Amino acid sequence: MIVRIAFKNIWRNRLRSWTLIIAIALGIFGGLAVVSTATGLTNMRQRNAISTYVSHIQIHDSNYLKYAGLEDLIANENEVVSYLEKSEKVNGVSARLRLESFVQSAGGSSGIVLNGIHPESEKQVTNLYTKLQDSNYLEHYKRKSPILISQRLADKLNARIKTTLQVSFTGADEIPITGVFKVVDIFQTSNSLYDDLNAFVRLEDLQALSGVMGSHEIAITLHDDDEVEGLKQELEIKFPTHHIASWRGIAPELGYADKMMGLVMTIFLIIIMLALAFGIVNTMLMAVLERKKELGMLISVGMNKQKVFWMIVWESIFLALIAGPIGIVAAYLGVNFFGTYGIDLSFAAKGLRSVGLESTLFPELDSNYYLIISILVVCTAILSCIYPAYKALKLNPAETIRTA
Amino acid sequence: MIHVSNVTKTYDDGTIKVNALRGIDLEIREGEFTAIVGPSGSGKTTLLNIVGGLDSATTGKIEIGSKDISTLSENELIDFRLNHIGFVFQSYNLIPVLTAKENVEFLMLLQKKSEEEREKRTTKLLQAVGLADQINKKPNEMSGGQQQRVAVARALASKPDFVLADEPTANLDSKSTANLLDIMLELNKQENITFVFSTHDQRVIDRAKRIITVEDGQVLSDVTKG
Repeated sequence: MIVRIAFKNIWRNRLRSWTLIIAIALGIFGGLAVVSTATGLTNMRQRNAISTYVSHIQIHDSNYLKYAGLEDLIANENEVVSYLEKSEKVNGVSARLRLESFVQSAGGSSGIVLNGIHPESEKQVTNLYTKLQDSNYLEHYKRKSPILISQRLADKLNARIKTTLQVSFTGADEIPITGVFKVVDIFQTSNSLYDDLNAFVRLEDLQALSGVMGSHEIAITLHDDDEVEGLKQELEIKFPTHHIASWRGIAPELGYADKMMGLVMTIFLIIIMLALAFGIVNTMLMAVLERKKELGMLISVGMNKQKVFWMIVWESIFLALIAGPIGIVAAYLGVNFFGTYGIDLSFAAKGLRSVGLESTLFPELDSNYYLIISILVVCTAILSCIYPAYKALKLNPAETIRTA
Repeated sequence: MIHVSNVTKTYDDGTIKVNALRGIDLEIREGEFTAIVGPSGSGKTTLLNIVGGLDSATTGKIEIGSKDISTLSENELIDFRLNHIGFVFQSYNLIPVLTAKENVEFLMLLQKKSEEEREKRTTKLLQAVGLADQINKKPNEMSGGQQQRVAVARALASKPDFVLADEPTANLDSKSTANLLDIMLELNKQENITFVFSTHDQRVIDRAKRIITVEDGQVLSDVTKG
């Protein structure tokens, strides 16, 4: 009976109840929309970083990360690569020779890292080959030494496809070496800083030119993101003298961004729940004060105060239970729609690329969030009606039944 | 039986003390149809509230049956009111979202009466107050007189020992007042239900069997009609 009266009570002032319901629903929708957008951004940044330059795991010589020395090559490279290629967890393995270089063209110069790669292996590890203007990947060239540079570097060097570049670096035995490469294609990733600093040539060309026979880096991608830490630990045991790092270790800023986003989302949800709570307190307080006489009557005729309290609580719960699904369904539909078709942010593409993001954002939301938000909304509704319900308990029936 | 012994009530807001009741002694027996009359501010509503356990006396004792209600806790008092006292208020005070039937049934639900018993008694009471054909109407679909008759039916639903009515006819026209008094007198006569009114409505005073006049918080006269 109490529950039934509570449900009927919320429809006494339909306009007010619907205003509050819509406000709660919008709050939930807004909260979930922001969470899904932020999750989409964070995940996009992570995915881009992993698929473009970080990979899931990287192996280096222990000294390489400290000194980046030419001689800090991976020991037992073949054994390591062979072990990884046999692992069922591993999707791709690519060994790289990385030399700090100076690149010049007729139009300009720049400091870069020259990456010597196996074109076929690299395809398994990074998506570089998908970022090319004319799809002219390194493996198509047999005669001249090809080089892939980014659009940003091309602009800086005033270079284009077929431009010849002169690249200088220190080779084996610290001999200064200069090589000539021909630009075969130009790439553009979603990370402008990465684009500024990296160029790619064939590993065999670079090894032949530099006299450095080996690799500084082995990049690994896995079939399943969740197996990264497990494989990392496995490799640390198997190859204890090597430095093995997961993407979180290589690019800690990505992990920090993840944690930071989690914190921001928590703060944001608290703000939304507080706004929701104040809305409910205000509405329920008005509902209680408007009904002082009736509540006084109920207490007078024998309805105990616990029942009056629960009646008010139920009214809030009903408001939240109506608004919650509306907000959640709206958010679900919105996240699914934009998760499929994306949100076009091309007007800010340049800025987004500078932080490793693409211009189409796909919101994502873990299904747990729907449950968490639902529970939070009901808890907030219950907590925020305690004060109005307490006010109802404090009513003096003898006074209230005679009020006009 | 209601036994009021030397009851006083003083309102004290820290600066002014108002003696609303100054030593009231009363005895109301079962089956009486009593009107407590007096001018505004005389203390009749305060007396009724204290008898009904809605307010507490500053001194004195209220016994209903063999129970001294001044010793009951707040929750015990609410429970006591539910099971022993029926209330009819000046402005009906029905639950606006419930129908006439649901309003009458409400107290029996609080008493946890069975559905069968609730149904039977609600039908009987609404018939008794002449509203058998209005059971599904909500208060805002009924006239003031009809609402007050529902309020009487509700007051009787919990099978109280007596009904306290605070100026029940104040908002009613002559016809509705006469009709309501007929119903209450009939219930008093046939079912021996005790009614105690506070009123200054001459129409009620004329039909009451006992008239207790209160003035300045004291009983001025207590007349039982022959």
